[in-house]
Amino acid sequence: MSDRPPPQMDFAGVDAALLTTSRFGPEHASEDAALVRRAGAGDAAAFARLYERYARMVHALLLARVGRADVDDLVQDVFLTAWRRLDALRDPAAFGGWIAAIARNRAIDFHRRAAETEKLPEHLAARDATAAHIEARAALELICTLPAAYRETLVMRLVEGMTGPEIAERTGLTAASVRVNLHRGMKLLREKLK
Amino acid sequence: MSQEPDNDYLWDGSGVADPEVARLEEVLGQLRHRGTLPELAERGTPVRPQESRGRRRILQALPAFAAAAVLLVVAGLAWITLVQPRLGWAVESVAGTPAIDGRLVEGSGRLGVGRWLTTDQGSRARIAVGHIGEVDVEPNTRVQLLESRAREHRLSLVSGTIHARIWAPPKFFFVNTPSAVAIDLGCAYTLQVHPDGSGIVRVTHGWVGFEHGGREAFIPAGAVCATRPGPGPGTPHYEDAPAAYPEALAILDFGGAGHPGRSASLDAVLAGARRRDALTLWHLVQRGSRDERVRVYERMAAVAPPPAGITREAVLEGDRRALDLWWNSLGLDTATWWRIWKKNW
Repeated sequence: MSDRPPPQMDFAGVDAALLTTSRFGPEHASEDAALVRRAGAGDAAAFARLYERYARMVHALLLARVGRADVDDLVQDVFLTAWRRLDALRDPAAFGGWIAAIARNRAIDFHRRAAETEKLPEHLAARDATAAHIEARAALELICTLPAAYRETLVMRLVEGMTGPEIAERTGLTAASVRVNLHRGMKLLREKLK
Repeated sequence: MSQEPDNDYLWDGSGVADPEVARLEEVLGQLRHRGTLPELAERGTPVRPQESRGRRRILQALPAFAAAAVLLVVAGLAWITLVQPRLGWAVESVAGTPAIDGRLVEGSGRLGVGRWLTTDQGSRARIAVGHIGEVDVEPNTRVQLLESRAREHRLSLVSGTIHARIWAPPKFFFVNTPSAVAIDLGCAYTLQVHPDGSGIVRVTHGWVGFEHGGREAFIPAGAVCATRPGPGPGTPHYEDAPAAYPEALAILDFGGAGHPGRSASLDAVLAGARRRDALTLWHLVQRGSRDERVRVYERMAAVAPPPAGITREAVLEGDRRALDLWWNSLGLDTATWWRIWKKNW
């Protein structure tokens, strides 16, 4: 299974304007940059605003890689790490990509540590599992069999309820890339559901 | 923007809702982020990372698993890859002292492939089924772990009762019993096996398939199905079916062709059938003598008429396509699980 994202230009039906959309829209990026600068100066309210903007994306990135029982804790870890290391962010406008990278690395680190110790019995982490969650878990398991680019985008769309434009804005992907990932990911998912 | 209407819905939720996307949104929305920002230390102050619950759990587990972890690290990745699946599933003692191959489990233990977990009248246990679910083991139960692979998790239930909750895709979890194999189709269910090898499954969520020797039963949430050594799975019925159903179906399924109560049992099943009981009739129309199947067909056609193009002869001859189309018209559930189930296991 390849994790390589798909090429962007072979998707029929994409508006030409979308193909020229730059990474991180100027308005969005400048708002992020202002919030990051304020947070860097110790303004917790500004950081809370960044959390509101990016928590669902971070949650989705982790949910696409780590068992649900650990995701909430890891989301908190990611934001605490970001809060402590804001000074290391050279381009304040690139907060989205930066925190996404922290989330992906945190997921890798989580798996590495789990392998070094021993994975806890899943039932300890899944005591809240009810019958109502079983179908959701099954559907998520199927999504998690897809290539990374598709599963991340689909989790943001189907789990977190983010729209395509919102995903593009938060992740820094072009709208065309997000559309490709949604379209192809959903096509693969439909095949698996058949 | 998009040339396909459903793409607009997938893209930004506008336009005509794609039913499959909408269904997935509804189901998966339960997992949506609902956390809050943790308390922030003052910036510039060196802080120890807040210890998460997950990390605490790992740390708490370290003493118990340290020896195994050291062994695994020393032995190397190849060894891990080869051996880890054989380590089996985690077992937690819930009450009393269950035993694995005769050794008492106090607290927790591991059920390796080929090993037996036994509970007496005062003990209960919980098994973590790899990473895909869990099984509660009731008192007086004997189970054996037969297989633990990524796509096949298989137990043997020789006697007693288990409650299974599985959140993996269908056909990842199987339970062999003396008279049938229970195939998980993404569900929660209770499976009981009696000392004589007979059994019964009660499904509380999703679907379970029961199979033996080519004879199949398909059991949705709210339904039960018995099985006996020899014939295999019986005919499923809803728990709220007419009171005569359990006994009548037991005679039809396991009483043999010459049972004196057979005709009266079929009368009882057919007379009490509601549209909802088409689940039962759909299974019965594939079983028994031709005369019996004709009677079942007539009753089923009355309570749940077959869709256009489905002929009486095709159904009576067991034509798979005709039976599938009739099933799909019953509106028992979305067809997703059914389509998956129809692939041979």
